[in-house]
Amino acid sequence: MVLKNNISIIKATTKVVMLLLFIAACHKTSAQQDMVRQALKALQAEDLETAKGNIDAAAVHEETKDSSSTWYYRGFIYKKVYNTEKSNKSSIARDISVESFQTFFEIDKKSELYETAYKSVKYLASTYYNDAANALTDNPEGYERAIINFEKHKETMLLIEPNHDFRSLEMQFYLVLGQVYNQLYEQDREKNILFYEKTEDAYKLVLGLDSNNLSANYNLAILYYNEGVNIIKNLDYDLDLITLTLIQDEVVVLFQRALPYAERAYLLNPCRKETLIMLSGIYFSLNEMEKSQQIQTELEGIEKIGEYKELLKSVDGLQDGTDEFNDVQNKIKKLIEAHSNINYCAGIK
Amino acid sequence: MKRLSIISIILLVLLTSAGTSYESATKQNFDTNAKMKAVFVYNFTRYIDWPEEYKQGNFVIGLLGETSITEELTKVAATKKAVNQTIEVKKFGSMGDVSECHILYVSSNNSGDLSEALQKTKGRSTLVITERDGLAAKGAGISFKVVANRQKFEISKGNIETRKMTVGAALLSLAIVVD
Repeated sequence: MVLKNNISIIKATTKVVMLLLFIAACHKTSAQQDMVRQALKALQAEDLETAKGNIDAAAVHEETKDSSSTWYYRGFIYKKVYNTEKSNKSSIARDISVESFQTFFEIDKKSELYETAYKSVKYLASTYYNDAANALTDNPEGYERAIINFEKHKETMLLIEPNHDFRSLEMQFYLVLGQVYNQLYEQDREKNILFYEKTEDAYKLVLGLDSNNLSANYNLAILYYNEGVNIIKNLDYDLDLITLTLIQDEVVVLFQRALPYAERAYLLNPCRKETLIMLSGIYFSLNEMEKSQQIQTELEGIEKIGEYKELLKSVDGLQDGTDEFNDVQNKIKKLIEAHSNINYCAGIK
Repeated sequence: MKRLSIISIILLVLLTSAGTSYESATKQNFDTNAKMKAVFVYNFTRYIDWPEEYKQGNFVIGLLGETSITEELTKVAATKKAVNQTIEVKKFGSMGDVSECHILYVSSNNSGDLSEALQKTKGRSTLVITERDGLAAKGAGISFKVVANRQKFEISKGNIETRKMTVGAALLSLAIVVD
């Protein structure tokens, strides 16, 4: 399957190079333009080093440096180089390719080559994004590379779509980035304190784009909540009362900071178990026991949805008025009375 | 073109998984209030002075009724001392079980037993601490009280001194003194 794909790619590339040679041949020839043609011939022969040398020379020569096609071919050749060097993270071939296409667009926006250049740039932009995503998922330490690649993705996309809306993509990227920062913070909370702030900033950035983003609201709340819990968890029993009072003030501020985000996450999805656990915990830690208990009751309601649905199913098969029917009906009634959210969270109207 | 489609699919997968990502909350089951109270209770053993005859043997903390503080106080007992005394935690299921102790901690659910607890420990240097607020004014030595989301405590200096214990000034300065 892979081999078949490779053959298809080689065939497609050969076709494109042949086309490029044809277009180049149609242009007026000179010594330097000949160099462009030589670059394409070298490309066809898979001699990328010679192709690079020729096209770079053409790109700086007085006669060819202002020709849009020179920059188009340079972009194309370096894109090809990039595809052969993908595993080499220090390769700058992709950057050169994008820069070349950028110069191409600046020189001639109405070129017949625009369509293929557009596709090439879109492809290169997508590879920057994939590299950004992979850098985050492969290894948390790769976050800097991820940010650089994400910014390059945006810059590259803007070359072809100046009004491109990145909001959705930015939210998704910064949510994952926030998690990576938090992971680094959790690895060594004292040494990596900077990552606590970075985590906070990443989620706040997402909320700046959409204040109703459930993940960002939940994650920011859990960041503050976990921080407060962690401080208390690590308290030494020997701690003197004055210090204890000061620490208590500090953790209450953290729980209070977590609360509006937790409440927003709850409003966005009142049936999400993890949110209810967190919200109940925050109220509890703030000594707001009634509210904590109310959320606990809702949580129990969600946990009993399975049982509730089974009862609803079984009552359908029972004869009205029988003891068994009345017994099941009573159980259903009790569940509804005890857990006002059970119908809503079970999706029953 | 085929290559572009493959990349688009990869992008979509990465984005979809990222869009619903949540932090884990591994610390949610930890009882923050119990830990805070346990640190306070341990501090009381340091800021309150018991008569000389109570400074020998184990330092007994009795817990009346079910309370979330039990686990934390057990950890205190395992790692700390009350000055030089080994700390021992005793659980009393009901008033009838209550025996001699330095501290009697009355759980919230057993607040109704306060009068009986005071009667039972009368004449002894037992510091009665209640989980429910307002009870220092009704005979207890110390009552926990929530003020502005914070765990605070009320102290009755008179109730403590009647039982021949003395309260350190530092403790009084941080307490809500009811008398």
